[in-house]
Amino acid sequence: MRKWYLALSVTIFGGLLVLGWSTHGTGIIKDDPERNIVIPKELTTRLQVKAAYDGESIYFRYRWPVERPSIFHDVLVFQDGEWVKRAGEGIGPDPDFLTEDRVSMMIDDGSVPLFSRYGGYITIGDGLTTFTGTPETDEERTKYLPATRTDANNFDTVKPESDLATLRKAGYFLDLWQWRSNRSNPVALGDDGYVAEERSGDKGTGPYFTNWDKTTNQPKFMFDPARTGKTALNFADVVGGKYGFGDIYYLSPDTAAPFDPNIAWKNGDTIPRRVLRAESDSRADVVQSAAARWKDGYWDVTLVRKMDTGNTLDDKIFRDGGSYDLAFAVFRNASTMRWHYVSLPMSLGLGKDAQLVAAKFQGETPTWDQPWTEIEMFYPGQVSWPRLTDPKQHPGADKIAERVPVAFRHNPKQLALYGVEVEFADQIVRQWLWTLLASLGLIVALGININLIMTRKEN
Amino acid sequence: MAVYHILVVHFPVALWLTAYLFILFRTFSDSELAVRLQKAVWPLIFLGSLAGFVAYGLGLAIYPWSAITQSPLGRNHIMLATWTLSYWTVMGVMGYRYRRFLFEGAQRWSTFALATIGAAVVTITGTLGGSLTGTPSLVTKSLDLIGWNVYMTFYLPNWMLLVYTAGAVLLIVIGFYGRRSHV
Repeated sequence: MRKWYLALSVTIFGGLLVLGWSTHGTGIIKDDPERNIVIPKELTTRLQVKAAYDGESIYFRYRWPVERPSIFHDVLVFQDGEWVKRAGEGIGPDPDFLTEDRVSMMIDDGSVPLFSRYGGYITIGDGLTTFTGTPETDEERTKYLPATRTDANNFDTVKPESDLATLRKAGYFLDLWQWRSNRSNPVALGDDGYVAEERSGDKGTGPYFTNWDKTTNQPKFMFDPARTGKTALNFADVVGGKYGFGDIYYLSPDTAAPFDPNIAWKNGDTIPRRVLRAESDSRADVVQSAAARWKDGYWDVTLVRKMDTGNTLDDKIFRDGGSYDLAFAVFRNASTMRWHYVSLPMSLGLGKDAQLVAAKFQGETPTWDQPWTEIEMFYPGQVSWPRLTDPKQHPGADKIAERVPVAFRHNPKQLALYGVEVEFADQIVRQWLWTLLASLGLIVALGININLIMTRKEN
Repeated sequence: MAVYHILVVHFPVALWLTAYLFILFRTFSDSELAVRLQKAVWPLIFLGSLAGFVAYGLGLAIYPWSAITQSPLGRNHIMLATWTLSYWTVMGVMGYRYRRFLFEGAQRWSTFALATIGAAVVTITGTLGGSLTGTPSLVTKSLDLIGWNVYMTFYLPNWMLLVYTAGAVLLIVIGFYGRRSHV
């Protein structure tokens, strides 16, 4: 009889292990918009990059998968007598696809310590906009470089202007190139910015301005009926993906006319909330050779800039034979802000060995006959530099102090998983401790069970 | 402290797995050699547990508790190390109390099954330690294939915690029933 009790006990114990194995990791990680937590369906994606230069200009070509391209950003929709803003920036993906796709690239020439080892992580302070617990304010709390603060971990301790100017002259900033599917692409522009004491645009005007008159609470511009044959788009068609590259779906000097409040606007009339325009000054450095297109499930974008713009305070100057460090981000599935995919830092060589080698070419445009450099991109979660460098929060903080590169210990897939777990750290630690206790109890119970049932009788 | 943990942890791993090897041999053999080796099982397990406690303590001293419990891999390693240590200690008590009777009749198959679980647990603990120091093995990848990505914390949902608690109570109740059945 006892052998059956023994067999039953071992079976129950084994069964509980199998059950635990098949149900572990469930019950905690789920979207929680109240805490600004929305977990992307895919935690990693891929970006393909090529680079080429001719001594005058440098070209970067980016290609990444997007199931449904998002060619709109925020729009103004006429509803019951007033114009209502829809989408643009929001928590997680926008179900109406009113948040544009983007690609961005940070560049350094070796002047920013640790960027080559940790990439964009060094720019993520605590309490940035959209982080859980950060109050919503009018002022965006953007990424920044650690040495621009008297306390690197405190966003509010910005150094005096004179110190910031000294840092900038020493090259302590990251060049930031951006491409936006709505707010720059239709007019074949990019956007040239930087990350230093904040993330911002270079000197000059950017590729768009906001189409909103605060005094009248109306748009400033509408579609020019004489040139476009319409005054507005239809909202159902906008969210239904009916507009394509062959349509006029954006406002620019060629398509816009001053807003006419006397038109009989009807519910669902839709006007872009941004008006595209020519850029100026240093901000105009990054452009496209032609407006990018989405085809066969991929965006294919090429940005170009003069290698030496002369703007040494907000651009990194490229030189033949030079080495640089890059970090990329792509935005897809109508997501923005921190709901993006980032890369680990990678090296760029102009005609010399690096992870990404820029090919030298002669003639009008690059031939692009070199193979793509494949980059694994990952969702970064809410992992901040203060957390990573704090020995009480990160077991690898001592390795960072020793300047061991992130890629030596972690890969993008791991970092994506860690990024998600950090968003639920307190709950997971609590549940893990309960699991530890319950499983320990089970093992002790098994010990008691076996010692009670087994016999010392000879066979 | 990490280097000492890595140094010491080889002892319990080697001792427990040697004990498992002897159990395996004895399960399938009644030869004189197997019987002789079986006598070394409980001392090996206890020595392993002794070294295991030292390794466990050294391991906990590597990082601050607040830091290691913020790492999914760290949490998993602590979890598995706790399982391993407690499980093999229980096995040691069993081995000491029952010695050769562990392999009498049908009991040998229970002994074999329980020891195999112990060998699996110690192997997983070791591979997690390797992953934690940046040297993941094929075992890490294999675990992913059978449902556990070790870079995510192993924790049970609330209802499973209740099931585990109920299971523990049930095992003890069965133990008493089983004891009564052969008194």
